[in-house]
Amino acid sequence: MTMLRSREIPSVSGKPRSKGHSSDTIQPSSPAPKQGPATSTTPRRRSPRLESLYEKEVSIPVSREIKSNVGERVLSLRSGKKVAKFSGSGSRELDVEVESEGKKVCLSDDDDSIERSGSKRKRVLVEDTNVASKELDNSRVIVDEEKGKTVVAHVSVDQTRDKGKGIVEDLGQANDLESRRKYTREEKGKGIQVEDTTSVVVQEMEMEMEMEMEMEMDNSMNIENPPVTDSSVNATNTQIQNGNGSRSQHFRDFAEKNASRFARFDVETDDEEDELSSDLEVEQQVEDWPGPFSTAMKIIKDREEDSTTILHSGVPFSSHLERSSPIVWAPRRRSDTTFSPPRAAPSLQELSMQVLVKNADAITSLDYVPDPLRVKLCQLLCDSRRMNLHFLHLLVRGSPTAICVPDCSWLTEEHFTECFNNCDTTNLMVLQLDQCGRCMPDYVLPSTLARSPKNLPMLSSLSLSGACRLSDVGLRALVSAAPAIRSINLSQCSLLTSSSIDMLSDSLGSVLRELYLNECQSIDLKLILTALKKFEKLEVLSLVDLPSVRGRLLREFVTARGQALKQLILTNSVKLTDSSIKDISENCPNLSVLDLANVCKLTDCALGYLANGCHSLEKLIFCRNSFSDEAVAAFVETSGGSLVELSLNNVKKVGHNTALALAKFSEKLQILDVSWCRDMSDDALGYIVDSCSSLKVLKVFGCTQITDAFIRGHSNPNVKILGLKMDPFLDRLADN
Amino acid sequence: MRETVKLISMEGFEFIIDREAAMVSQTIRSMLTSPGGFSESKDGVVTFPDISTTILEKICQYFYWSLQYSRGKETEFHIEPELTLELMMAANYLHT
Repeated sequence: MTMLRSREIPSVSGKPRSKGHSSDTIQPSSPAPKQGPATSTTPRRRSPRLESLYEKEVSIPVSREIKSNVGERVLSLRSGKKVAKFSGSGSRELDVEVESEGKKVCLSDDDDSIERSGSKRKRVLVEDTNVASKELDNSRVIVDEEKGKTVVAHVSVDQTRDKGKGIVEDLGQANDLESRRKYTREEKGKGIQVEDTTSVVVQEMEMEMEMEMEMEMDNSMNIENPPVTDSSVNATNTQIQNGNGSRSQHFRDFAEKNASRFARFDVETDDEEDELSSDLEVEQQVEDWPGPFSTAMKIIKDREEDSTTILHSGVPFSSHLERSSPIVWAPRRRSDTTFSPPRAAPSLQELSMQVLVKNADAITSLDYVPDPLRVKLCQLLCDSRRMNLHFLHLLVRGSPTAICVPDCSWLTEEHFTECFNNCDTTNLMVLQLDQCGRCMPDYVLPSTLARSPKNLPMLSSLSLSGACRLSDVGLRALVSAAPAIRSINLSQCSLLTSSSIDMLSDSLGSVLRELYLNECQSIDLKLILTALKKFEKLEVLSLVDLPSVRGRLLREFVTARGQALKQLILTNSVKLTDSSIKDISENCPNLSVLDLANVCKLTDCALGYLANGCHSLEKLIFCRNSFSDEAVAAFVETSGGSLVELSLNNVKKVGHNTALALAKFSEKLQILDVSWCRDMSDDALGYIVDSCSSLKVLKVFGCTQITDAFIRGHSNPNVKILGLKMDPFLDRLADN
Repeated sequence: MRETVKLISMEGFEFIIDREAAMVSQTIRSMLTSPGGFSESKDGVVTFPDISTTILEKICQYFYWSLQYSRGKETEFHIEPELTLELMMAANYLHT
């Protein structure tokens, strides 16, 4: 079906949106009747079904209300990325860029390729139908334009990746309308092949901007059939091209104005393409394994199916929330009206520390005060901004074993020099001077901490996070004085480059156990890879917020040094994909802490890999990853037994399956974060809290759905619930 | 002696307090209830050669204040600044 761009697009409101593929005839015009004459340029037949659908078209600019009816179309404006290139009216080759990470699908009029790509689409579409019928849940439909959200980058990737695979769970549950949105017209056009396997010529758009109509699969497939001959295609192409000079300008203008609203698009790089293709293979493999994770997934999904078939009979979809939760949890019945545990009195140690903090200047000596108390005092002082030179002198006096100042922003260069000039550091084991940017340029070090080659002989833990004036030279001087460092924190040291890491690997290669390089902007993972591989005993590697973290580089590192790795912090490494998790799971059997917050491209396969590979995970941090409820539940079932801390912050789809799994399989769980998981009902949370006997902290920020039934009804006396509305929580954060 | 226990300071002062009050300190609680047949649990007497009298007295006052607090009467426990450092260290040792 050719795309017609021959009409002005009147502004429309109230465009209903629906999931599913749409045909590729996005008619940016309003009512159906008008289309008859307008499309007279092409001898195209439109099915009556389509006509009815077109009544609800949207055009650009859009401000629509969305209704959540299945069967209504949704228009979404694509991101500013140009999708198709028009390759001339005479040519029969249509180059179409599919709208996912830069993958190019070349559609020629060749039957072959179209069939091929069409069949790929076919499978996806079929899957979509299944899912769509399951999914449509709450009536919250998201309007792209209105919220300025962009259409999906990661979701569309899911789509493309899912081709041919039985992975439906990505298209998972509740708020997944996004997953529906990103089909380009071309893709949808191909989808038509589900019904009609004759070749469909996909007309590409000549503009940056496209309108996409998504229609329910049931409706869309039969339509749009018109077998268009090549010649007619060309004819329309020409027509469109010629007739639309001004219109193209208009669209271009509009796109320019609005493209910024769709801010999210992926930079297309070769790396990503490689990773994508390897992901495809990789995903295929996970499904083939008859491993415990896949079995668990299957069982859970079957359970879901059974429980929902009853509801589904005759109804094309059901609301996720309406489905009766299989969890039956009765809140504890109490005879007394107010539930408050006897308030434990503050400890004497706390009380005396508070007094000390207020009168810190009156302290004359810290002799005999054990290190943990010194550290705690210092922390409290820094928190209340009462830390000063006097106290630092107290800390530095004698031959201290630990000097921990979490906030040195008040310290000047002169005072730093004065303090550390004569400090006896022969016994110093822990040195923490965080946020020391102001006081630690390179030139103060040779006279203070680095004044002799063996000045810090026992130093095993060094933290200089925030040392923004420290460069490679300074660090070299410092490290040369401290040959026994086992843990070094160089977070936010923006001047350090890869030569620092080379230097570290040369001097500390055989002793260093922990390396923190969070937010070191000048360090490129590619350049430090060889150095990283030289650390023989590296157990903790923290690479938060480093844009250079890529799948290929990570793979190289973990294959070399993954055996010893115990903690891997990869927060905000947005470029990583499932294949990286596969590499990690294969090479890091001893991994106990894994932080994958904001690694948005991960899918359920990642959970499969982790379940199969990393059996001793104790702390697992997810945030904004799009995993499905079933996958998380299966993961907890297979390897949740060792979990002590689990964060499912903003993993929006978790619900009762996960709750059941957590309650049954996580005996050791102490800290659980289900903030922003709105599908966790009172029952689910109550069940978890009552069953997890070790649970100490439960974070429920943003969970507006929980009520007093849970808050007052649970019978776990040890659990602290953080994040309820209007609850002060800052004082409790320190406890964690 | 089941009802009271005796805490002896560095200088030899003896403080006789309720068993329940002494149990506020985790250290004393485990001393008094440990199954090893130690003299502390048998006699109900605990000696603290490192804790001075003034500090020990303050600690006993804290025990009673803590019991009062958990029963609902929430008042303020005042600590003289000159005692605080030692008090903090003793409290750390006594795990209270």
